[in-house]
Order: sequence, then structure tokens, then C-alpha cells
Amino acid sequence: MGTQIKDVIIKPDAPSSLLLDKHADYIAAYGSKKDDYEYTLSEYLRMSGIYWGLTVMDLMDQLHRMNRQEIVDFIKSCQHECGGISASIGHDPHLLYTLSAVQILCLYGSVDEIDVDKVVEYVKGLQQEDGSFAGDKWGEIDTRFSFCAVATLSLLGKMDAINVDKAIEFVLSCMNFDGGFGCRPGSESHAGQIYCCTGFLSLTGQLHQLNADLLGWWLCERQLPSGGLNGRPEKLPDVCYSWWVLASLKIIGRIHWIDKAKLRGFILACQDEETGGFADRPGDMVDPFHTLFGVAGLSLLGDDQIKAVNPVLCMPEDVLQRIGLQPDLLS
Amino acid sequence: MHGRVKVKTTAQQEEEKRKEREKKLKIYVAARDACFSKRTDGVLDEEALQLTQQLLSSNPDFATLWNYRREILMHQETIKDEDEVQNIYEAELLFLESCLKVNPKSYGSWHHRSWVSARLPRPDWSRELSLCDRCLSLDDRNFHCWDYRRMVVRMSGVPVDKELEFTDRLIGSNFSNYSSWHYRSTLLPLLHPESPEPPSPCRQPQSSPPPSPQTQSHRVCEEQLLKEYELVQNAFFTDPNDQSAWFYYRWLLGRAEREEMISCVYVSREEERVAVAFSRPVNAQSVGLFLVLDGQPQRVEWRSVHPRFKQSPVWICDLPPGTINDISNEHNLTVHWTEKHTHRDCALYTGRTESWCRDTATDQELFRSELSVEKTSVLQSELQSVNQLQELEPLNKWCLLTIILLMRALDPLGYEKETLAHFQTLKEVDSMRSAYYNDLCSKFMIENTILKMEYAEVRVFSISDRNLTTLCHLDQLLLVTHINLSSNQLQRLPPQFAMLQCLEVLEADNNCIENLEGVYHLLRLEEVSLRNNKISTPADLKPLASCRKLKRLDLRGNPVTQSPDVESELSELLPSVTDLLL
Ligand SMILES: [Zn+2]
Repeated sequence: MGTQIKDVIIKPDAPSSLLLDKHADYIAAYGSKKDDYEYTLSEYLRMSGIYWGLTVMDLMDQLHRMNRQEIVDFIKSCQHECGGISASIGHDPHLLYTLSAVQILCLYGSVDEIDVDKVVEYVKGLQQEDGSFAGDKWGEIDTRFSFCAVATLSLLGKMDAINVDKAIEFVLSCMNFDGGFGCRPGSESHAGQIYCCTGFLSLTGQLHQLNADLLGWWLCERQLPSGGLNGRPEKLPDVCYSWWVLASLKIIGRIHWIDKAKLRGFILACQDEETGGFADRPGDMVDPFHTLFGVAGLSLLGDDQIKAVNPVLCMPEDVLQRIGLQPDLLS
Repeated sequence: MHGRVKVKTTAQQEEEKRKEREKKLKIYVAARDACFSKRTDGVLDEEALQLTQQLLSSNPDFATLWNYRREILMHQETIKDEDEVQNIYEAELLFLESCLKVNPKSYGSWHHRSWVSARLPRPDWSRELSLCDRCLSLDDRNFHCWDYRRMVVRMSGVPVDKELEFTDRLIGSNFSNYSSWHYRSTLLPLLHPESPEPPSPCRQPQSSPPPSPQTQSHRVCEEQLLKEYELVQNAFFTDPNDQSAWFYYRWLLGRAEREEMISCVYVSREEERVAVAFSRPVNAQSVGLFLVLDGQPQRVEWRSVHPRFKQSPVWICDLPPGTINDISNEHNLTVHWTEKHTHRDCALYTGRTESWCRDTATDQELFRSELSVEKTSVLQSELQSVNQLQELEPLNKWCLLTIILLMRALDPLGYEKETLAHFQTLKEVDSMRSAYYNDLCSKFMIENTILKMEYAEVRVFSISDRNLTTLCHLDQLLLVTHINLSSNQLQRLPPQFAMLQCLEVLEADNNCIENLEGVYHLLRLEEVSLRNNKISTPADLKPLASCRKLKRLDLRGNPVTQSPDVESELSELLPSVTDLLL
């Protein structure tokens, strides 16, 4: 008995060049089908959806095609009394969407449009005694939310509002035998979670706490013969995991441990030549989420048709320079 | 968003689908708006439960609806008696089970189940455990379910050994199960700790947080380790390409955590400077480090060797001018690390210009103690069995890498030649990761060179022509005066290079160095040879300007020599250099 490597086969006629114009058209049109069934079903994550769309447009230098005023007004109407921001109107506030909203406002250089002090209070209020963060008042604990909290506060320049030492202690308690991180203490390592935790440690200046060689080995072993990266051992490759693994490797200074040309080939093959946009895998349906992570991945791989992306915050570097935020990276 | 295959459709099919979606949209929007308006009106009745149930069964990621349900359920708690509440929550669990069947990876459903389980007046944890069993039998990698299981185990006090048996069963039926191996890595140190503390057979509900490398030792007692080796060997002999077992094996072979300590104190009379090396990166400004000179506490300012580092294993400070510069005086220095209740003394005798006190890499068995089991015989037999497997599977990368690790643990210098040969094969059979193998091989060659240097008791570090692609362990080279890195493949001398505080001569000819960031504030540095590298502009040499004693600089064979006015620019940038070779 022998395990078959789970992977995809890239067809010879798969796209092999970057179709930037098509992607920009796809994103620009996406927000206009507001009465579409699928679009309505995804309302619960709308704020993040807007962040994905705007960020990829900015990376392609097409941000001007989006309706700034409409979006800023929408965000303002999603801020709640408690300070937190929801995915959409009528939905409840959550750290996930609070971060997305703050990221969008940073792209537009207009964080002052919302009540920043209240956002800070909201984030602060979600920190638990053990240093962890709940996603909202219902108490789900996850290292993703630790990342959301410090990323939001870093973008607002208010990191000192929380107990940073305790927050670090909690995230480190989620470190595993393979050098990776899971959702909570004892949870299995997972590339998305590793991205959140390495990003968290970057923003809190604690990257030296990582076992970078061990973690880097686990991360570079995510690359499959197709060139794509998976998020855990024995799983299929995926454009979004490619981003999370690649960004984590960049943060820990080991991005050269994967085969960049092969990964580029995989990401390009996930484009849809007809509609524009990227899918999770070649031949699947595209969406804005994978479109952002496809383009951002290509940026980290050094594609000079795309703006430089920051691996920690997944935002254009020029935006972060404007804010004066430069998260640590290991060298 | 995941795994939806794009299918080609005709215009007619497309039109039919559009109509169907339009209908579904109407129903969905009506139900959603009904929910929202009820909630706005503060209605917390059973009809609202019905409405949200209808929406959530098809869209369990709609988090706000779960919130609304919780508000309703909490309200019901206040108006119903315990039995009725029990019934309502049991119905909720049934509903959740149907949601999880359709969508076993929904964060919202799993979190709601945890919430309900915690509020149930009479919880039935064994039912929850068997739900996990069933769910994991369908997908043994579902991390949501594993996390839920860990919560159930904690709440109901399932003994650790029972959970270990559970992983035995899963691994027995399928070796390729990373999630189970992971779970073992958290259970074993609890059940069979290496420390003398008595093993606790049963974890108490709500007990201390689970283990992690940060909160407790990850080491496992030797007897159990031997059993574990056997289990893993079974796994990788059965399926040598299954990475799960190999990852786990590398963990079992893992190095003991290093004791936190001051590994070296160095004092220089001429510079009136003290350098301190730690066993791990610290921020000396905040860990309570203080220095006593001849019985007098000194007010000094600690700084890391390079402005890039807020955390560093090497820190330096200047003593007040005139305190130790008289060569006829003897001085006694102590550095205290108050946070760790440890210190290190260093005596500077009359007539000496410098002094140090340290544990060497060989004293600390720094690179040898890679394995948890110190007994050579155990490692030898491990190496034998992995070698056997390699004969059957000569191109198996996992096997090759493991052999390298075992050889290093046994005798890093003795096996150097074999190690290099195995690395060569590895790079060929797994070319996608050749850069990883290059860096790992560089690390091992640097470790070997440090060991050789320490056996020879010299301060010369020479590692030329070794295909080095990266530099590491530079904190171990604090006392080195001469370094030769020539004929390797280095692209930079990174900021960590500034830890070589005693360096006088740097040779790094025939590399591809384009960045000299780490040749920074090396106050003793006199000679630098960088022939045939890739330094392209005078600006790249800027860090050298902080090395005030630099006299000789050889830049022959670098692109920078071609730039106009290079000579005048460099003489302005580096006024101390009298011997410039372009
Ligand atoms: Zn994906």
C-alpha cells in the first residue's frame, strides 16, 4: 500500500500568462450584480469581500474604478454602537469584518471616517484573561482573532490598548510539534492559522520565538509536483493556501525554499480566460477571494506588473508606507 | 468558494438556471428580512427559531443568525423549566447534527454546538464523544471535529491514556493520518513526561492549558520513546512515502530545549566595552540585565549589535570612560540576568587587554544533543533500520533526510562525508526543495566548523569552498578574530554578522555577495577582502564606514570598480582605508 500524492494535473492549454485586464474587469463588474443569488448568500462576509476586491484592484493599480464614496458610506453604516463593524447592514459586528473595514479605509486613507476610538475599545473588550481574543461577544476563540485584533490596532497605531504580553503568551501556547500553529492550544497546524500567527508575531515583534527552520521545512513541504501549495499534509493544492504558505515563508525569511517558477505556473493556471478572476484550482469557478490571493501571490513571487504586497497585512506596500507601518520580517 | 467545478452550459440551460436562482433568491430574501425584522422588534419566539433554522440549514456560515438563535434560546431559559430547557437544547443538538452532516466544516455550526453543550442542563458527553467518532470516521482530518473532541475530552475528564488509545486505533487503521500523529504529540508528554514529576493518569476538567513547546517540556520519557520509535517505524516501513510519520519521527528525534543562560561574557580593555551572549535571543533592555564591576553596580546602556534587532542573542555596552583602561589594574565583572536568576563572572587580569568567560559549543553539546535519547546504542539501531529501508528505497527523500539527522546526532564530524553525499542525492530527487537542502547543509557545515574550531582552541573560523548558501550560528562566533568564507555561494553578510565583535580580518572572496549590511560597527576590523563578488555601487559599502579601524579593502572583480569616481567616493566614505584595491 502506498499513498497517492493528492494533486492536480495542469492541462497544457491552461493559461500561462497573466490576464490583468480581465481580472480588473471581473472585479469591477462583481459588485454590480447585487441581486444575484450567490452574491446575496455571501452577504454574511460582504465587508471582507469588499476588502478582497479593493485590495486586488489596488495591487493592479485600478482602485479608481471602484466607488469610493459608496463604500465608505457603507462602512460607516456598518459600525455599531459597541464600536465593532459588521459584514453588512443588519449583521452583527465581528473582529473579522472590523479588520476588513479598517483595511479598506487604509487603502482609501480615510480611517477618520469612522469612530476609531470606539473600534479600539471594541477590540480591547474582546481580549480574554488568558490573552486570547474572542471573535465577537459570543466567545469563539481562535488565533485568527488574535491576528485580527493586532492587525486592526497596528493599522490604527493603537497597539498599546491591549495586553500585548498576554496576547503573545496565548499565541505561543498554540505552537505545535511541527513548529506550526492551530486555532487553539492543542489544535493541529494549518497554513491559514500559521499565516495568522506568524503575522501576529511579526506585528508584535516576536518572530524570534519561532522555530523558523522547522516551520519553514513544514511550509516548503506544502509544495506539490503541480507547483501549487496545500494547507496541510495530504491535501489538495489551492491558490489561497499558496498565498498563506508563501506569505508565512516570506515573513520568516525563507521564501526561496519553494520552487517559485512552478508555483507561478500553478497560480496562472487557476485563471479563467473567459471571465477573468482566479479559482482555487485549475478549472474551478472563480471568486474575488482567490483572485486577490492569486494576484497577491504573484506579487510576492516578484511579478513587476503588480504592486508590491505586504506579506503580513496583505495590502499594497505603498499604503503601509503612507501609514508608516513596517511589520518585522526575519532575514 | 472551494471545489466548485466550472461546467459548460448552453444558453437555454443558463436561462433555466437563472430563473431557478431568481426564485430561490426571492424565498431567501423574504426569510432573511422576516428574521431581521423580528429581531429588530425584539421577538424571541419559536417561530423565529423556525425561520432561522430554515436559513441556517442551507447557509450555516450566516453567523448573525446563530447569534439570534442564541438570544432566543437564552430567553427561553428564563421562561421555561429545566426539563423544557433540556428538551429545547436537545432539539438544537439534533438540528446541528443535520447541519454538520451537510457541511461538516462550518465554523459557525461547530461553535454553536460548543455553546449549546456548555449550557445544556444535563450534558451527555458520551453522546458528544461518539458524534466525534462518527464524524472522524467519515473524515479523519476534519480539524473542526478534532477541536470539538478536545473540548469534550476536557469538559468530561476523559483520561489521557484513553485518548492515546483512540489515536492507536486510528493510526492502526490508516498510518497516513497527520491529525492523529499530531494529537499523539500533545498527549505523550502529558502521559509519559520525561521530568520526575509523577504522571497524571487523568486530566481534570478545566485543568491547566494543554502542553506546548512554550508552556512545558515536550520531552517524553525514554521507555515510551522506544515504543514510539517502533510504532513510527512500522508506519514508514509500510508506506515510506507517507510524510505524516516522518514529520512525527523528526519530532521524536528533536533536540532538548536549551537551558536559558548567559553563554558568554567578553570584556575589552581598549574599547572599554562588554559583550554578552545569551542562549536565545532576548531584549536586554527589558529582561533585567545588570552589570557589576569590582563590586560596584554600573549604569550602562545595553544595545543590540545591529539597529535591526530588538531581540538578539548578543548585546553590548560601553563602560564609563576610564574605568578599566589602566592595564596595570585587575577587574572583576559580573553580569546578572535577574529574570532568570542567573549570572556569569569574568575576570580581567593585569596586563591583559581582553578577557572572556563562556561555555563553548562543545561544552554545551550544542549540535550533538539533537536527539532526545542520549544513548548511542539506541540511535545506532535507529540508524541501522532506516539504512535498511534506504536500501529498499534508495531515492526516498524522507529516508535520506532522516539518515542525515541520525548521523548528525551520533557523530557529526565522523559522518561528514556521508552526510554531504546524501544531501547531493536529496537535491537531485527533490529538486523543488533544493534551496532548503542547501541551507540545511550549510547550517550543518557551519556547526561542524564551529566544533573543529573549538577542539583546536583557536579564534579562526575557516569554511571556504563548502557551497554555503546561508550563514547561521553567528552568535557562536563572538570571539572569532579571523574569518574565511571564500569560494561559497553567499549573497549577503546579514545583520547577524555584526555579532562578530572581535573580528579583525574578513575574507569572503569568490561569493555572490551584494549586501554588506552586517559589516557594521566592528571596531577591530582592519582587513576586508571581497574579491569577485557582486557589490555594484559605492552605497553598498556604506555599512563599512562604521568600522573605524578598517585599513585594507580589496574589491577587485566587483561591478562597483567600474563605476565612475569610485575611488574618490570611497575615500570620502571610508577615510580610514589606506590600502584600497580596485
Ligand atoms: Zn482556497
